[in-house]
Amino acid sequence: MDKARAPLPPIMVVDDNHDNAEIIRQYLEIRGYPITVAHDGDEALALFETVRPALVLLDVMMPGRDGWEVCRIMKQHATLGKSVRVIMVTALDEWQDKREALQIGADDYVEKPFDLPTLAATVERNLAMQRAMAS
Amino acid sequence: MSEFLLLTDSADSALDDAVARLEGWSLERVAAAQLANAVASRADVRAVVVSSNDPGVLRAVVERAHGCGVPVVVACADDTARRRALELKAEEWYRCPADADEIAQRVRSAVMRVVPHAQASAEHVEKVEYEQMLHDSLTGLPTLPVMIERSRALFKERGELVVLYLNFVRYSKIEEIYGWEILDAVLETTAAAVREFLDDTALSTSRLMVSFTNDDDFIFFHVPAAGVAPASENDITDMVSRLQRHVGGRIEAQHGEDIAALFDIYVGRSHVYYNPKIRLERLIYRGIREAANASRSIEERERGRRVADLRSSLRDRGVYVDYHPIVVTETKEIFGYEALARGVLRSLRSPEVMFDVAAEADLIWELSRLCRSRAIEGIETRLRPNELLFLNVDPHDFSDPAFDENEVVHPERVVIEITERTAIKDYPKFRERLKIFRDRGFRFAVDDAGSGYAGLGSIANLEPDFIKLDISLINGIETNFIKQNLVETMVKFCNDHGAKVIAEGVERAEEFEMVKSLGVHLVQGFFLHRPSQMTLTPRKEESAV
Repeated sequence: MDKARAPLPPIMVVDDNHDNAEIIRQYLEIRGYPITVAHDGDEALALFETVRPALVLLDVMMPGRDGWEVCRIMKQHATLGKSVRVIMVTALDEWQDKREALQIGADDYVEKPFDLPTLAATVERNLAMQRAMAS
Repeated sequence: MSEFLLLTDSADSALDDAVARLEGWSLERVAAAQLANAVASRADVRAVVVSSNDPGVLRAVVERAHGCGVPVVVACADDTARRRALELKAEEWYRCPADADEIAQRVRSAVMRVVPHAQASAEHVEKVEYEQMLHDSLTGLPTLPVMIERSRALFKERGELVVLYLNFVRYSKIEEIYGWEILDAVLETTAAAVREFLDDTALSTSRLMVSFTNDDDFIFFHVPAAGVAPASENDITDMVSRLQRHVGGRIEAQHGEDIAALFDIYVGRSHVYYNPKIRLERLIYRGIREAANASRSIEERERGRRVADLRSSLRDRGVYVDYHPIVVTETKEIFGYEALARGVLRSLRSPEVMFDVAAEADLIWELSRLCRSRAIEGIETRLRPNELLFLNVDPHDFSDPAFDENEVVHPERVVIEITERTAIKDYPKFRERLKIFRDRGFRFAVDDAGSGYAGLGSIANLEPDFIKLDISLINGIETNFIKQNLVETMVKFCNDHGAKVIAEGVERAEEFEMVKSLGVHLVQGFFLHRPSQMTLTPRKEESAV
């Protein structure tokens, strides 16, 4: 993409709150990640095959198809499901939510409200894990 | 030669440079007031960059562009413009002034993001969902409706079809004991083994098809090939037994004997003959039902045989105990042993199977008593003086009048493991019973902790001395950050409550290193030790009684 930097893997940000999505986008784009934003579950799924994100930051509470369902469908995708890392972004921090997240195949989660450095660190550790698993 | 046109109302020269960076694009400038119309009237427009500060112009351009599937990038002079762009759902925006690189990136990403609007996008998602329904994502096998569609013509032509129903029986608690991930993995292995088998079976000259029922049964259709006689009963019987052996062997090779013991495969069959008076699907479904029933009655017969085996084992005290070491994480020293009772008879070797059979035959208490007394014998004969014995006790055993706190000579060396899963009906009464045991010196462990959604509250209620983490939290923990977080939470909880955490099912070095770094106190699993009888001399049935 950018000739100055080695291309970083594409990330999809899914959040129905436009401002949140924009803040995350800007923060990660400065770090060189190509970002695609979707504002609801359907849009995220529609873009999933075109964008082929290495990692998805997925808000749990969205109107319509919620984050759990989107994660489940993405993880079941025949070709992309095995490799994509999904990070759930959630205001809920109960034991139950984390079990739920495990059950549908999520890899990590970020608690809301989050600070951006934490978010970036979470993204980085998941991409590092993805590289480690691929090799 | 340019195929793609970028329209804009902006005079910014950075745009020319940006377009130069995009391969195959050209730029055309239009007055702001004409931009909306230009977007709609030019077929080769691939994107628009709007810089106008007039909200009316912006809205018109976005609406027209989206009407014909063209993405919009808004060049924003200030925050108000940015918010407006977001509200209107422009695909992209950038803050002026921006350099050519950034503009090019925005245009590229806008093009990538342009979604065929609402209707089309919903249809696409629906299509993806439907496609997923046609093939089971786990096994990669077609689902039943797909298979019926595929065999329709062939069945009509040949006039007959053999249905084989593979009733894949798992002893009830596999998901609870080993976690659903293991069950998924076993099903994946099975499907692969089935496919492998089909590839080199002698019957492959005719059409064999297989489908997956989404629970855990498999269905085979066998349609004889043209000019070939249909497989004889003997051929089919032979094929079925080879298939059973092949699948069983694969599961054992990949997942070990313990897990393989939890599965059985019973095959039922039926013959369906084409009848033009009856709808074809109905014929096939009827055949499937018949084959399924046949497989269930084989299963029933097999269960009956196992109940008889259990009765004779109880009579002969035919249970032995494997001791599975629990070690201190830091030093790898042996801390204690979990007693695992196994049937002497091969059909009852697996403790899960044995208890499952006992539950069905209402022999739980009797079997528990035998297993307990066998295990407790080991305190004297097998364990060193400082080692503890971890004993599995079902909460229902506490209602057994024959189970009492004086049964054991050294209660201080016994840790009673209670599983979190068994529903405890009368909590206050149960805790009262526990207290009597506790006062005698017994300690308690909560088994399979964290397996349910219940969380930590219900565990705290039992005031355990040990918490054994559910195996599903340990399996692959080094790659899953949620599991790591849950285990960390559990360790902290235990440290606050004066209990110790035990990680079960640690099978690999990576898992061991991870639980160690998370502060887990004790570890049990094949990575360090396998369960064994720890006999110094060959075991004799009578000598231990």
